[in-house]
Amino acid sequence: MEKLLEVRNLTKNFKDNCVLDHISFSVNKGEILCLLGPNGAGKSTTINILLGLLRRNEGTILYEGVKIDHKLHDYKQKLGVVPQDLALYEELSAEQNARFFTSLYGLRGVDLDAAVEEALTFAGLADRRKDKVKTFSGGMKRRLNIACAIAHHPELVVMDEPTVGIDPQSRNHILGSIRKLQQNGMTVLYTTHYMEEVEAISSRIIIIDHGKIIAEGTKEKLKEDFQSEKRYHIELEEKCSIPTEGFYAIEGVKNVEISAHQIEIISVRGVENLDRIISLISDHNERIQNITSEEASLETVFLKLTGRKLRD
Amino acid sequence: MYCFWQILKMDLKNNFKNPILINYNTFFAIAMILIMGYLSSGNYQNGIDSYNYYAVAFLVFGILEGAMTATNCFMERDIKKPNLRILYSPCGQFSVYFSKITASFLFDYILHAGLCIVFLLLGINLGGWNVLWILLMMLPVEFASAALGVLFCCIFHCEETASSILSLFISISAFLGGAFFSLDGMGKILSAASRISPVKWLIDAFFSVIYDGSLAYTAPVILASIGISILLTFGCAKTFRVEDYL
Repeated sequence: MEKLLEVRNLTKNFKDNCVLDHISFSVNKGEILCLLGPNGAGKSTTINILLGLLRRNEGTILYEGVKIDHKLHDYKQKLGVVPQDLALYEELSAEQNARFFTSLYGLRGVDLDAAVEEALTFAGLADRRKDKVKTFSGGMKRRLNIACAIAHHPELVVMDEPTVGIDPQSRNHILGSIRKLQQNGMTVLYTTHYMEEVEAISSRIIIIDHGKIIAEGTKEKLKEDFQSEKRYHIELEEKCSIPTEGFYAIEGVKNVEISAHQIEIISVRGVENLDRIISLISDHNERIQNITSEEASLETVFLKLTGRKLRD
Repeated sequence: MYCFWQILKMDLKNNFKNPILINYNTFFAIAMILIMGYLSSGNYQNGIDSYNYYAVAFLVFGILEGAMTATNCFMERDIKKPNLRILYSPCGQFSVYFSKITASFLFDYILHAGLCIVFLLLGINLGGWNVLWILLMMLPVEFASAALGVLFCCIFHCEETASSILSLFISISAFLGGAFFSLDGMGKILSAASRISPVKWLIDAFFSVIYDGSLAYTAPVILASIGISILLTFGCAKTFRVEDYL
């Protein structure tokens, strides 16, 4: 795939504290690249350097093969930025905000009118365009925050945790919008510490922790690479009378937990042992009410990589 | 230039939508003139003179306080985040701080010029047509004041710190300059200390135009203010760091 943005050996120190340690990655044209990591991992620092707001100690940033320092104005013209904090004038209307921020990219006249109209419609705020931002809900402000970033049709949209502190409905709306942006040909660099968002929208994922990239790939690849276990959840009609030893005797079973009607079994991945587990239950004249199996999630991948949960 | 113009319009709009800034630059000044004028009316031969004195004194004080408008416009909490979005755009850093200086300057100048008109309507002596010289002198001083406010923000990276230090500096200057009461009759030391205050120079320059019809101080005030404005703006260019906005 064609590289839109390329980062090489990016390093940032705050005094003696190294917050980014020689990270390298690229953003391909048309993809949604998710930068995933816990708070303090270095995501926002990376974004702020990419946006030219923070100076880097080392490293090179190329946009379409050209160093951004050489063509900063052109580079910024092609970016749309959705910051983590709401960057809106509360006393102004949605339209005034969108109009002002879009005009900073040189749009004027009918082009500006059309761009603002399109962005507000995209954000689902066309009917509230005249209302002051301070009367908006948190979700609506977040949507306007995005509208102001994309109205000038940027090539690359950089989103720094754009869904922090909003309700699930608004979050779903925003995630849907991001997929639409991709369908419209935009490239998205998205940082988050919400695993479910990454699962929902990412084309590719970079996991970052303590200023280092610790894994990179599609979500399927990451799961494939780091998945070593499978979890079965079995619900019986009556209280379980089978001793745990019986399950441990089955090949691949690593852990068994029985509580009343419920049995939780963790098994080594790749060993097809479910039929033997069911046979064992039948042999003890127990009847199964429900059975589910759970594949490893990105959460387990992250836990495996970092030794801590994402929101620790 | 288009970018700068857009930011300037927005900054002006934001200033004029801020009731605290408007009240502070208008009604507060009028209230202070009325209170101080009334309290000290017995100290003057003709009662109205105390109002004439404090109208000019608080006009000068208000001009210097324009620096506080600039700190608010540049780094106030609710304004700072949208300002950050300007820095994401291709507009460039100069547009950001220079538009804040210009917007604060225009905002303060419009309000203070309006105050002068109110003073005239109320019969305050501003020297008849010589008020035009006062308005001319106010221009570069207002600009320097706004540039000072933005420079303090650039140096201290924080609106609260910049405002606190500026407020202290302006209050001391106003006290020494005789904005609240003249120090001229309070001994040699205080009188000499009064001479170091820019408020004193400005009050003297304004009174010179109003009561003597003399323009002796006008050119020095204008030229010095332009020089200081250039230096302060250059200081902003040297000390402004985008990181401070994060």
